[in-house]
Amino acid sequence: MSLAIVGMGWVTPLGTCIDSVWERLLQGDEASATTISEEFADRVYSVFRVPDSALKGISHPRLRRASAISRFAAAAGLHALESAGVKLESQNAERIALIFATSNGGVCYTKRFYHEIVSTGVQAASPLLFPETVFNAPASHLAAMLGMTGATYTLVGDGAVGLAAITMAEELMANESLDYCLVVGTEEIDWLLCDAYRRWRFLRLAPPIEPFSNQNRGMILSEGAGAIVLARDGLVTIERAPPGGYFNRRAEAETILRRILGDLSQIEIDFVISSANGTFVDHAESQTLQELVPNALVYTGKPALGESGGAGGLWQIILAAQALHSKELPPVLHADESVRLRLSLSRTPVPSVRRAIVLGCGLNQQTAGLRLAVL
Amino acid sequence: MAQADRRESTNDPARVAVTAAGVVSPLGFGLAETLESLRSARDCVTPVMRFAVTQCRCKTAGQVSDWRLLASYGQIPRSRRLHRASHMMIQALQELVTQQPEFEPELTVIGATSGGMSYGERYYRSLTGAGDLRHAPTWIANYPAQKPVTDAQTACGISAPCYVIANACASGTNAIGHAFECVRSGRYQRVLAGGYDALAEMVFLGFDSLQASTPEKCRPFDRHRSGMVLGEGAAVLALENLDSARARGASVLAEIIGYGISTDNFHITQPEPSGIGARQAMERALESAHVSAADIDYINAHGTATVFNDAAEGKAISALFNGVPVSSTKSMMGHSLGAAGSIEAVVCLLALQHQFLPANINFTTPDDGVDLNIVGNEPRSAVVDVALSNSFGFGGTNASVLMRKLEA
Repeated sequence: MSLAIVGMGWVTPLGTCIDSVWERLLQGDEASATTISEEFADRVYSVFRVPDSALKGISHPRLRRASAISRFAAAAGLHALESAGVKLESQNAERIALIFATSNGGVCYTKRFYHEIVSTGVQAASPLLFPETVFNAPASHLAAMLGMTGATYTLVGDGAVGLAAITMAEELMANESLDYCLVVGTEEIDWLLCDAYRRWRFLRLAPPIEPFSNQNRGMILSEGAGAIVLARDGLVTIERAPPGGYFNRRAEAETILRRILGDLSQIEIDFVISSANGTFVDHAESQTLQELVPNALVYTGKPALGESGGAGGLWQIILAAQALHSKELPPVLHADESVRLRLSLSRTPVPSVRRAIVLGCGLNQQTAGLRLAVL
Repeated sequence: MAQADRRESTNDPARVAVTAAGVVSPLGFGLAETLESLRSARDCVTPVMRFAVTQCRCKTAGQVSDWRLLASYGQIPRSRRLHRASHMMIQALQELVTQQPEFEPELTVIGATSGGMSYGERYYRSLTGAGDLRHAPTWIANYPAQKPVTDAQTACGISAPCYVIANACASGTNAIGHAFECVRSGRYQRVLAGGYDALAEMVFLGFDSLQASTPEKCRPFDRHRSGMVLGEGAAVLALENLDSARARGASVLAEIIGYGISTDNFHITQPEPSGIGARQAMERALESAHVSAADIDYINAHGTATVFNDAAEGKAISALFNGVPVSSTKSMMGHSLGAAGSIEAVVCLLALQHQFLPANINFTTPDDGVDLNIVGNEPRSAVVDVALSNSFGFGGTNASVLMRKLEA
C-alpha cells in the first residue's frame, strides 16, 4: 500500500504559503537570523524565527494560553486540510487520524514552569502552565479545534521523527476505517535549547549553515511546523516508507543510512532531499549518497530554513513533493563546491523527474527515509 | 525489504501473541515479584526522598529502588551516565530477553512522557544557580525520550527502529495497541511494545499544582478518594504473530485481541464528565476484538483516584458492563504515567495466567455515583479468560486493550 500526499501546509521562517516560500527557496533566499538571549546568562545565540505575521488569522479558545508550538501546529495543520479540501464533520471525525512529531515539545512553557519553581519555590508551580508542558498538548489543541474523535498520536524523537511519523501513518492507514491521516511536525525555539545544543557541540553561534563541509561547524536552530494530509489516492505518492533505524555511535550512522538508502534506491532516483545541517550528519549522508546514488541530484533546505527537528522532516517531504510537482530544485546554499556530490547548486530544472528520496538522520541516534513518486 | 511483501500476503488479520514480558515497578523487579505483590495486595507507595516535597500537598509516590537498579550498571559501556529510566528499561527488557532469547523485533513501540526529565532539571538548576556544568553534555545527551529505549536495546543486542509515543498517561496502552495493530495487519511479525517513566520533580510538582495528587492514601473509586499518587517503572511485552510464535515453539503467555483509541476534546486535563471518551475507547476495543461486553471477566481500570477521572471512567464502565470485576492497581503502586499502561498490561497478563483478580486497595466506601463491582482490598480467585486494560490521558486521549488467556 502506498499513500498519497493530498494536502500540505507549513509555517517556516520564510513564511507560510507553500508556493511563495517555495518560490523564495528557488530564488536562493534564506531566513534572516535574529538573536535570542536569556536574563540569567550572557551568551546570545542566532536563530531563524517565524515572523509574527505568519500566524495572523489563527485563533481558537484552545489557543488562548497555548505556546508557539501549538499555534505553529494549528496553522500548518489547518492549511494542509484546507489544501486537501478535507472538512471535518461529526460523520467523519473518527475517520481522520492525527500524528504529531516533535523533538523538544513545548520547551518555552516547560522552562517557564520550572523557572518559577526554581526561582520562587514550590508554591509557584503553575497549574495553568503545567498542562502545556506535556508533549501531546499541541496535538490535543489541534484535535479539539478540528473536532477529531479518533486516533491521535504524538511521536517524540530527533530530526528523523517526522519521517518516522509517515511510516506510522502508513501503518495506521492499513486500517480501512481511516480515510485520511494528518501528519504534523512542529518545534519551537528557546534560548535553553540553543544552549543545550551548543554544549552538545551541534550548534553554530551565527549563520550560515554550511552543508557537507568537512568542518562540521554546526547548525542554526529554527522553529515552525509542517503538515501533510495523506490519503489513498493522489498524484504524489509515498511509494515506500520502511521503518528507519538507530545507531549507537555517530560513526555507525553511515551503516544504518546505507541500509535505508539501499532499500529505497533499488529503482532509479532523480533527487534526494538530504537532512544535512552542518553536523556529523552531513558526512554520514554524503558518504552513503556517493556510494549508492551517485547520479542523483542532492538538495538540503536546512541552510535556508534552519534545523527544526520535528518540523524539519515534514519540511523535507514538502520540499520533495514541491520539486516533483514543479520539476525544479532550489539551490543548496553555502555549500562547498568541492563536495563530491551532485548538489543542486543553482535553480535546477528537473524536467523528467519521477522519483525522490527523503533522508533523515537525527542527532540522537535515529535515522529514516522515504521514497516519493509522481504519477 | 520483506515488509511490503508480507503485509500484502494475507487478507485475514493475524492473531497476536504475547510471548514474553518484563517489568520493573514499585511492585517489584520482574514478573515473579510483581505477582507476589499483587497476590498480597501490597501497598508499595512510600515517602518521596528524591527531591524536596515538604511544601507539597502530596508527599508520597510509588518508587523503584535505586540500589536494585544498580544491578544493571557495568553491563553496558558508560552505564553510570545513563538516566535511571534507562536502567529501568534495561532491566525490564533483559527479563523479556531471558524468556525469549530468539525474539528479534522488527519494530519497537514504547510509551513515555518525561524521558530523562531529572537530568533536564539538573542542567537547568546548574545553569541558573551557577552550578557545576561539567556534566551538562551527559545530562543533555541522556535527556531525550528515545534514549532509554535505545539504551535498553543496545544492552540487549536489539537493533529495531523505535517509536516513542507520548500520549500522556495513555502512552503505554497506545504503544501496545499500535504494536498489536502492526502485527495484526501482517505488516510485522514481531514488535516489542511497552512504556517507561521515572519520577521527576517537575512532573511531581505539576500534578501537585493541579491538586490532582493526594496527601492521603490513593483510593480509586472510593467515595472519599482525594487524588492520585505518582509512580514510576518500565514494562515491555514481546508481541508476535501467533502462528509464527507457535511454529517456532515459543511459549505463549496470552493473546492480545483488541485495541480501541479515542479522543475527547473536552479539556486539556479533565475527561469529558459523561465518560464518552473512555466509553468509545472500550467500545472500539470490543469491536476490534469481535467480543461483547459480556465476555469480559476483569477490567484493570485507569482509576487514578482523582474525583473527575474515576467518575467519568466509572460511568463509562457501568454503562457498558454489567457487574464485571474492576480494580485499579494504581492504588498499590501509584500512577507511572507513560509506563502505566504497559505495567497494567503485565498485571492483566498475570491475572490471566494465574486466574485471579488483583485488588483495588485502600477501598472503604463505594461511590454512590457509579455502580461498579470493585475488587476491594484483597485479590480474589476467579476464572479470567478476557481482561480489559484502560488508560486515559491529558489532552483527552483514551486507550483500551483486550487480552485473552490462551490454552497451551
